[in-house]
Amino acid sequence: MDVPTLSTSSSRSANAPPNPSLRSKPVHRWPDLLFFGIVAAIGLSILGLAMAIVAILVYGSRYSFQAFGLSFLWGMVWSPTATPEIFGVVPFVVGTLVTSAIALLIALPLALGSAIFLTTNAPRWLRGPAGTAVELLAAIPSVIYGLWGLFIVHPYMATTVEPALKQYLGFTGLFSGTPLGIDVFTASVVLAIMIVPTICAISRDTLAAVPQSQKEAALSLGATDWETTRVAMIPYARSGIIGATILGLGRAMGETMAVTMLIGNIDKVPTSLLSGGQTIASLIATELLNNNGPLQESAVLEAGLILLVIALLVNVVARLLVWRVLSVGGGGAVE
Amino acid sequence: MIAVVAVVIVVILVVVVGYSAGWFNSKSSSSSTTGCTLPSETLLKGEGSTLVAPLMDYWASTYWNGAALTYNAAGSSAGIQAVTSKTVDFGASDAPLTYAQRAAAPGVLTIPESAGGVVPIYNLPGFALNFNGNVLSQIFDGSQTTWNFSALQALNPGVKLPTTAITPIHRTGGSGTTFVFTSFLSLENTSWAAKWGKNTAWPSNISGGFGASGNGGELSLVQTTPGAIGYVDLNYALNAVGGVEVGTVQNPAGNFVRANITTTESALVDSNPTLPAGSGDWYNVSLLNAKGAHDYPITTLTYVLVYQNLEAYSSYTLNSAENLVDFLHWIVTTGQNDSAPLYYVPLTQTIISSDITSINSMTFGTQTVPVCVPNSS
Repeated sequence: MDVPTLSTSSSRSANAPPNPSLRSKPVHRWPDLLFFGIVAAIGLSILGLAMAIVAILVYGSRYSFQAFGLSFLWGMVWSPTATPEIFGVVPFVVGTLVTSAIALLIALPLALGSAIFLTTNAPRWLRGPAGTAVELLAAIPSVIYGLWGLFIVHPYMATTVEPALKQYLGFTGLFSGTPLGIDVFTASVVLAIMIVPTICAISRDTLAAVPQSQKEAALSLGATDWETTRVAMIPYARSGIIGATILGLGRAMGETMAVTMLIGNIDKVPTSLLSGGQTIASLIATELLNNNGPLQESAVLEAGLILLVIALLVNVVARLLVWRVLSVGGGGAVE
Repeated sequence: MIAVVAVVIVVILVVVVGYSAGWFNSKSSSSSTTGCTLPSETLLKGEGSTLVAPLMDYWASTYWNGAALTYNAAGSSAGIQAVTSKTVDFGASDAPLTYAQRAAAPGVLTIPESAGGVVPIYNLPGFALNFNGNVLSQIFDGSQTTWNFSALQALNPGVKLPTTAITPIHRTGGSGTTFVFTSFLSLENTSWAAKWGKNTAWPSNISGGFGASGNGGELSLVQTTPGAIGYVDLNYALNAVGGVEVGTVQNPAGNFVRANITTTESALVDSNPTLPAGSGDWYNVSLLNAKGAHDYPITTLTYVLVYQNLEAYSSYTLNSAENLVDFLHWIVTTGQNDSAPLYYVPLTQTIISSDITSINSMTFGTQTVPVCVPNSS
């Protein structure tokens, strides 16, 4: 580029000073200061709010921390009826991770499949309505999913799906126990359905943002629809799809009402997918405001803190993943 | 254009100012009382027991035309917590305060406001079953896993019990209903008493079964799980949409008694518990296993928890104290007429007069709180 522009710093030559009217002069006009003040206050208040939440959780969990220290992290027993009370978080961490992982396993192919269908294969008249329908699914309150799960999915699971799984996959040990329809598996399936719209909607937007030239390039080389999708579209949209997945995972880990209604609320490590369990979120829902004393309340808050840490870790891992994908050579994409 | 905007602004201002000054408050001037300052618009907030929630909700509609009361059915332990942390005007619990809970909330009065029965409900359509405490404890501690076990068969001669698996369903969190039920099992089964005892939290090391939140959650889970058994308040069992099987329970006289308003009421009358002072220790007050031939054995009082000295709330004025005292007075007198239609037991005269003594002992700082009973409208 021969013509220096004001907008790129590298283009400034050393002997030509920057235009004083546009750069480097501090802003003093009071409307600007006012605007700066308001925006800064709003921005910092969000940060302050987040820090306040962490502070409250840490402060609230002090009794539990004094009583159990780090053993809370690997304690397998949660017993408010024991004397003295014993609280350990392992059953809920396991419950949270297992339900979210299964939910993701079920939701990801469904969501990606429908996102690809909606961007490439669906007839044009279907794309709008079907896309809107998927987005509408995301707006259904989770308690409704819970009710639907309890009254429709639960009996169907108990009478049809789970007996079959037990019969054909029972040898793996994953599906041992009595199929009752109120268990880790049912909760995971309903969770999967709840996170499909989130993953699908964002993946669809990302896939739709793939430049036409990419697709045409693949098609002109004689690629089939599947090959175009695989070679030209998914790599380009990869970081967006990962982002969508992490968002879905986050929702699955934090989901409360539907899980509380379906998981069986047993404060133990689930022995199979057909046994009851408890996630950290459902533990908080059932025991934070309804417990036997300050130590239990404190332990529930500490579990909440651990959920926060897990969510944070997942986010960090996601960022690293996106960053790695981009640096290895994906494409630009919506995040 | 500017004129229109100005008019709109003026109108909005007038409405806002007028609203905050109470111009549009028709209610404050229309209520009538028996000769004392009437309660203002203040909302009374209660929280706690799901067992008594249907009655509280009904009271909210009959007391002061429903304008004055909100009740959050979060569970008995939640009620105790809420009153301890002073986030509500009153708590409600079916489990009396423990020693530690009274220590954490000094100056709290325990006022029985109703009584109810806790019944075993189960999902075996078409089976009318008899239970006793011993059989129930064997079912709920997980030692019996299918419905056709011999101890249950002995109580139900002539019934061909199914081989369905038993799924016991208990309550999650701290529950007064759990407290009543585990208290009954402790009385009836020595092994239960030794191992688990009575508690508002379900014993966490019993294997098998599920937890459900609230009496309502317990009911839905039993209704949707074949072979399930649970325990709920009588009101929930008899008002269950879609119905649910309710078992009879053997009482100390040896009879299998079906819970209804007659059998729970006679249990309340016959057990005639010794009542401590409102500020006293209620932990061992019990209506379980009343001695009459037709008394339902799992009957319980349910309590309202309030501060004796209402200056405990920094936000309270004498007027708000009066509102709460009026409400308490109303529920133990006029409000008792609403109990029986909802399958709750109206209090006996003895309990009512003990309650009124407690309510009259409530103060606001050093001032006594004048009682004024509103006209029931």
